[in-house]
Amino acid sequence: MNIFPRIVFVLLGLFIVLNWGLIMAGIIRKIIARLGMRRGIKVFQPYINLIKNYSIRSQLSHGVMFYLGPVFRLSGGVGIFLFMPLIYGSDYWSNFSFTGDLILITYFMFFGMLGMALGAGEGGHPYSAIGISRGLAQFTAIEVPMTLAILSIAIQYQTLSISEIVAAQQGGIQNWTMVTNPLATIAAMLSFLGAMGHSPFNVVMAPQENPVGPPTEYHGTFLGVLQTNRAILHVIEAVLYMNLFFGGASNWGVLIIKTFLIYFWSVFVGMVFPRFRVDQSIPWFLKIPLVIGIAAIVVFII
Amino acid sequence: MVNPIYIIAVLLGTAFLLGLFRKKGFEFGMALGMLAIAFAAVISVHWFIHLYSGTEGGLNIYTAGSKPPFSINLFMGVEESFFMSAINILGLLGFIYLFRAFREQGLKSSVLFLVLIMGMNVLIMSRDIFNLFVFLEIVSIALAGLIYLKRGKESAAAGFKYLIAIGVISAMLLIGISFFYLFAGTLNIDDYLQSNTLPVKGISVAIFLMLIAILLELKPFPANGWALDVYEAAHPGISAMISSGTATASIFLLYKLLPLSSLDWLPYLTVIGAVTFVGSNLLGIVQKNSNRLLGYSSIGQIGLMIAIIGLAPRLGDHFNFIFVSIFISHFLAKAGLFWISGIIMRSNIREWSVLRRNRLSLFMFGLFILMLIGFPPFPSFYGKWQLVMDLAQHKSFVWIAVILAGSFIEGIYLFRWFGYAMKEQDDEEKKIIFQWEKLIPPIVFSVLALGASYYTNNLSLLGPTLNLIPIYFILALFVLDFLPAFVKNSLVIAGMIIYSVLLYPSIADDTLRLIFGGIFMVGGVLTLFAGYSEKGKREGFFPFAVMMYAGLIGLIQAENLFQFFFSWEIMTLGSYILIIRGKKSMKHALNYMLFSLGGAYLIFIGFALSHIGQVTFDLQTLSSTILPGWTYTLIAIGFLTKTAAIGLHIWLPGAHAEAESDVSPMVSGILLKAGVFGLVLLFLLMGAEQAEQKNLLYILGWLGAITALGGNLMAVFQEDAKRLLAYSSVGNLGYILFALAFVTHVGWMTALTYSVNHFLFKTLLFLAIGGVVMRVKTHNMYEMGGLIKQMPLSFIAVLIGIITLAGIPPLAGYGGKWLFYNAVLSKGWYFQGMFIFFAGTIAFLYCFKLIYSVFLGQPKDKFRQVKEAPVWYLIPQIILIIGIMVFSARPDLLLKPVGTMLSQSNYFPTDPLNWENVTASTDLGYWSGYKIMLVIGVMFIILLSWLLLMSRKAQKIKQFNIVYAGERPFKPETTHFSHNMFSHFYKALGFLSIPVVSAFWNGLNSVTHSMAENTRKIYSGNGQTYIVHIMLYIIIIYMLMF
Amino acid sequence: MKIFELENISMAAGFLLLMVGIWGIISQRNIIKMIISFSIVDTSIHLLLVSIGYIRNRTAPIIGEGVTKTDAATQITDPVPQALVLTAIVIGVGITALLLTYSLKLYRHNRSLEINHFNSLKW
Repeated sequence: MNIFPRIVFVLLGLFIVLNWGLIMAGIIRKIIARLGMRRGIKVFQPYINLIKNYSIRSQLSHGVMFYLGPVFRLSGGVGIFLFMPLIYGSDYWSNFSFTGDLILITYFMFFGMLGMALGAGEGGHPYSAIGISRGLAQFTAIEVPMTLAILSIAIQYQTLSISEIVAAQQGGIQNWTMVTNPLATIAAMLSFLGAMGHSPFNVVMAPQENPVGPPTEYHGTFLGVLQTNRAILHVIEAVLYMNLFFGGASNWGVLIIKTFLIYFWSVFVGMVFPRFRVDQSIPWFLKIPLVIGIAAIVVFII
Repeated sequence: MVNPIYIIAVLLGTAFLLGLFRKKGFEFGMALGMLAIAFAAVISVHWFIHLYSGTEGGLNIYTAGSKPPFSINLFMGVEESFFMSAINILGLLGFIYLFRAFREQGLKSSVLFLVLIMGMNVLIMSRDIFNLFVFLEIVSIALAGLIYLKRGKESAAAGFKYLIAIGVISAMLLIGISFFYLFAGTLNIDDYLQSNTLPVKGISVAIFLMLIAILLELKPFPANGWALDVYEAAHPGISAMISSGTATASIFLLYKLLPLSSLDWLPYLTVIGAVTFVGSNLLGIVQKNSNRLLGYSSIGQIGLMIAIIGLAPRLGDHFNFIFVSIFISHFLAKAGLFWISGIIMRSNIREWSVLRRNRLSLFMFGLFILMLIGFPPFPSFYGKWQLVMDLAQHKSFVWIAVILAGSFIEGIYLFRWFGYAMKEQDDEEKKIIFQWEKLIPPIVFSVLALGASYYTNNLSLLGPTLNLIPIYFILALFVLDFLPAFVKNSLVIAGMIIYSVLLYPSIADDTLRLIFGGIFMVGGVLTLFAGYSEKGKREGFFPFAVMMYAGLIGLIQAENLFQFFFSWEIMTLGSYILIIRGKKSMKHALNYMLFSLGGAYLIFIGFALSHIGQVTFDLQTLSSTILPGWTYTLIAIGFLTKTAAIGLHIWLPGAHAEAESDVSPMVSGILLKAGVFGLVLLFLLMGAEQAEQKNLLYILGWLGAITALGGNLMAVFQEDAKRLLAYSSVGNLGYILFALAFVTHVGWMTALTYSVNHFLFKTLLFLAIGGVVMRVKTHNMYEMGGLIKQMPLSFIAVLIGIITLAGIPPLAGYGGKWLFYNAVLSKGWYFQGMFIFFAGTIAFLYCFKLIYSVFLGQPKDKFRQVKEAPVWYLIPQIILIIGIMVFSARPDLLLKPVGTMLSQSNYFPTDPLNWENVTASTDLGYWSGYKIMLVIGVMFIILLSWLLLMSRKAQKIKQFNIVYAGERPFKPETTHFSHNMFSHFYKALGFLSIPVVSAFWNGLNSVTHSMAENTRKIYSGNGQTYIVHIMLYIIIIYMLMF
Repeated sequence: MKIFELENISMAAGFLLLMVGIWGIISQRNIIKMIISFSIVDTSIHLLLVSIGYIRNRTAPIIGEGVTKTDAATQITDPVPQALVLTAIVIGVGITALLLTYSLKLYRHNRSLEINHFNSLKW
């Protein structure tokens, strides 16, 4: 496909994902509130927040890196979007996934994290640095079961290309990785809990003790950029899991339903369990999820 | 030719003459004495040249006009003339050295000295056994007198013990001689040898007594307490004579009398010598007194020579070469060291730091120490090489192990001592005068040492093939050390560029060598650029920097095992001295050296094993070794010490962190690749099948994985920026080792890519952090903070560096990670791979800590005025950044040739990587560095411009203008979150970073030291105990032999 | 009994004295006594040497009174050990003198002649 139509489709896809991300955030928060016996916000509150933040006039900057932080962060989010095939069988919605495979996406996650960490770091607020150090430390452990799961499905399908993994799962629910490789799916979904940053793994941005963690110093447009990114990132991470374990999506409707359910899994767990400290969550990931992840590989070696 | 008998006549006559002199004629008397010794020296050297170059067998001298047995018979052969030349030259210099001492004690003491020299000459020449006894006694008496040259209770006691011990020993000798006469009927050695008397037990015992007495004169461990006391108490000028002079004469005596015995003494000599070599050196490691330490070392070296005599049948034609090269090293070095000891007059080895006040004597000290241990290019290096190779041919593995163990133990104390001289606190209060007449002898011996090295090189079987150009360059730099630093720096850079250009055609076809050669040479030039920021002369830096690079490039050029090992040692030596230049590096440099030395010896043994049954030393011999398992393991462990695999890594953090700012990138980014190159070469030459069979690859793979995890984990908990980077190097080398152990096409591609990447980013990071450290004068990250405003360029460099390190796309590091996944999946090492990936995420922690703590967060008041790092540090950084960018966008530039090269080798005929323009793909996945770079770049710019548009009115605010609950922070120190940043991580996983490895090595260290401490208690200081030792020694050896 | 011939007695005495002397060097703390023991060792070796060179019923190897140049070979004992003894005695005297000198020096330094008072150099 020519490059210009592709760019048009990419932008269109980005627009859909952003909007779905914002709406999903609103719905989720509404659900959380109702479960907590509160009325909760409006479903469109994320839109309102975004518009408000982008239109705030006072803009304060701590320096160049502080300025670049949100850019890195959003590039990270959008970048993953760009390298991710969205809809199975559709060349229009496969974005730039031809440049790199699954490994590219797993490593590109760090791009935004790093930029954000540096930007927040220049803000000079100790809470930012504390949040980042917690986040990074926790992330090392979260990645372990995820990596094992990725290795497991790479052995299973003998490919690292996401499109091919999705292709291999077509033809009904019995072909989904969830069914064919349940251990890897369990390991990955446990790791997903950590990646989404909901309770019990939300000590990074823990509102009660550590205002909001890394973005503490960000406001106005900067915060708007971060919120935009969060909306995109939540959807696109769910898309990743969908592609790897739940058969991918053959149209936008399936995509929206599946991503919602996947994302809701982390919210669901978060509603039930209290928060872990970092030194509790790391050993947690290195116990049961790790064992399951190893089992997922052992199954294929034997 | 002058008859050698005149040597005796002249020396004796002058001695008598000097006795007649009064105080007034002192100078004249000294001149006369000097002339006499010079005469002896000239004659013996003349004889040596004559006999060595000619075909003549030698000259028999008969006294009193008749033949033996009616007269005493002397013999002057090539061996005699050689040892006599050595002794007479030593005597001449020793005489000059003792000038002041003789003036204080009167000319009479110099008479003793002349008699000593004369006695030693006769000992070497005489063929009459009783005559030998007489002159042995004369030498002893003269020495006993000279021991008291330095007046004092100590020397008196030592002299008395010496006399008593020598008395007992010579009583044994005399008994032996008398019974020898009873049975043999002659006292002439040659007569006896020709007569073929039937060996009865009586004569065997007689000869036993004679030989054991001579052996005891050579101070075998442990019956040598008396000698140690003498070494410690005597004037160093006299100790030099004992160590280099009388020992020479005695060992020649042993060599001369050995044929008398019909018993096979050689195995016993081997054991005695080896026990002495190891035992004496072992006790040396706890010794603090410099002269006594030299005594221990001297005894050890003599032990080695005895062992070599014992091993003679296995050495065949090479015996002379080996013996002489070891002998000459000991002879020159030990005398030189004793002389230096006498110049500085410091008995505690820690106080030898005064040497730093006189560069020349420090240089000579280093030279002699290295010569003793057997570093190239000194003769002992060639000697040890040949010795070990020949022993291996006879499968005498035990002796190889013992000799190298002894050498290693010797290295421990000698390098510790050298470290003290280089780095220990120097008490400026105590004055010291470097007297010219005392400096002459060591200077002459240094020059002789270099000359001997040159000749040994020419004489050795392999030496002439060595490329000596770098060595000459290094020597020239020593001479030019007075020039200002920038001149020398330019010279060195120019030299390296020219050499690279000349070298290029010879390695252009060999991609492997091209890659490593590129790392070594380009890296060398880049890191040397940083040296321009040094003011002054920077004495003693450039010769060693060049030495390290010469060694590295020598590895690339090496065509045979010898050249490889030679270069390896040169490189180790140069890097050791570079490392020890750091302010607090004394201990770390020692660790580095000891691990390197141990590793080098393992490589050495491995080479020797591969040489069994081979004629040449060609690198290809590794492929047909008869003991592949051992060869593989030993050489691999040797290289692993250099790449700091876990267990062998404890030297690295300190050595790299405490080195000077521009040395750290040299030793970290560049030097570590030497070990990688070695491993690659090893696998290529020996073939992976061999290692596979022994499960070696599997072990190496796990080792690499654990190293990666351990190194990265340790790095997370560091507060010292350079230490953090050093531990990170441990981790990164773990990745490389892991990938190498795959021995698959893509695995090796990963390893080579990672090697290049590690070179780029680690050099960059060390340069950047080094530049920062130069400005803020601390290594502690929590003391820095907010430096991004003052040092934006350094910040960018570190940012690029850590992005590459962490493997975040789009920079080059990601290529390594992608290849890693492919390699792991295709090899099936998932769990090891898991360690590696876990280590990879842990790397983020320290990357963040590094960049945040130093450049972000709260600026400190005291660093508000610091400037950007020196421009000479920034230039190489910019070049490296360009390099990273090029490889990030066009990884094919590197990977394509590597792939082709690997496919051409025999092991990996198929290249699993397919290239379609700039997109690489394997069976598993695909990756296009160029397109990724493009997508991310475009997106980043769009988003940036969007944000710029949205927040164009952003205004800068002050440091403490932050949202802080309740109170307003005002102290940057309390607001900068850095110290113990990952305490929670430590709580969770800190147990993995408990330093068990250091504990192991420390334990081994203290066990060795306490063993030495307890063993040396046998030298109680009581003269009678020493006699008991001697008697027991005789009895035990007798029991063993009969 | 041949065992009690002169040369055997002298050889036995020599070995006995050798043992005594070495025992003395090892066991006597006093430096002077050690030196005396050393002299005993020396003497014992001289005795040994002499007994080795002795040939029964022959005279001293001196040409003169009853021994002529021509029949010397059959009349005298082995001259070599005798010459050796002379040399050995001279050397022994030299060493003993030197030992005594050292004992004097030691005494001056420490006001003691006990060998175990001079242990400061050790290990």
